[in-house]
Amino acid sequence: MLYKVKMKFFKMGFISVIPIVSGIIPFGAVVGSAFSETGLKFWQAMLMDWALYAGAAQLASANLMKMNAAIFVIVITGLIINSRFLLYSAAMAPYLKSASPLTKFLCAFCLTDQSYATMNANQHKFHSDKDATDFYLGTAVCMQMVWHTSVLMGYIFGNFAPARISLDFAIALSFAALLIPTLKSKNHKFVALFSSVLSLLLYELPLRTGLMVTALISIALAWFIINRRRNHDRQ
Amino acid sequence: MIDNNYFLIITFLLCVGTLLIRGSFIAFSEKMNLSPRVRELFTYIPAAIFPALFVPATFFHQGIVEAISGKERFLVLIASSILCYFVRKTIVVIGFGMLLLYFVTAQ
Repeated sequence: MLYKVKMKFFKMGFISVIPIVSGIIPFGAVVGSAFSETGLKFWQAMLMDWALYAGAAQLASANLMKMNAAIFVIVITGLIINSRFLLYSAAMAPYLKSASPLTKFLCAFCLTDQSYATMNANQHKFHSDKDATDFYLGTAVCMQMVWHTSVLMGYIFGNFAPARISLDFAIALSFAALLIPTLKSKNHKFVALFSSVLSLLLYELPLRTGLMVTALISIALAWFIINRRRNHDRQ
Repeated sequence: MIDNNYFLIITFLLCVGTLLIRGSFIAFSEKMNLSPRVRELFTYIPAAIFPALFVPATFFHQGIVEAISGKERFLVLIASSILCYFVRKTIVVIGFGMLLLYFVTAQ
């Protein structure tokens, strides 16, 4: 069965993610030029980019392939980096309860930090799960277009983003801009602060595991806070 | 040049593994009956993950402004976050942060 997209929310999603994608252009260029320097053929670079669609894992894999690392090392490294998608998948699942298998597949395949963050920051605008899905698909299409173009350009021309403009810094700014409106209570602010400090302390952990360890400990803290507050409310 | 078999095995395993991670909860979403506590927990996911994505990368970035020990990105991030608290417009925050960093590093 074909999925009918409500263009209003699709367009809204597409437009909402445009300010965010400025930050992924230099990252895409870096990944593209890394593919080229690794010695990947054009078809190999494009296949990995389109089929995997996960920038940090692509970059790590390219660097490890260049060093001729063992297959399991490269795969495990990539999957550890991508393990944060597990939490996004859990958060997205309630919106996709009544979606068709094809829609679920598309939404899962296109799951990125930016698409999830943009949808999450705009959820007060949705009247139904379908509105949220359409919005999310709009962000995903925009992300795909910009990302693959940036990687392609990076592969052909090298890292074309001028260093003087520090375009890569837009990634950090966009995550801050998407995060802050979601910190609606003192508890949310506390968890964000805790995660910030912990991520600095665990930064040196190997294989970028600091990210996932920080996320899991912060989620555990949130769970503790929720249970304590609910138990307190019951008494 | 990278060997085709080596490349294809890695790409295949990474793609399948990543899709399984991304689709894990989504695939079984209709069977999931979430309690209010779990639903509330999901509202904490951005607070738990996003700072870990950008705070270390900004804090440990080796900057060029000696007067602030090369921490210009981190200071600009704090200034932009304060602005975001009041303005809440993504494009304004990104524009402000990029311009501020440009001027700070132009000295």
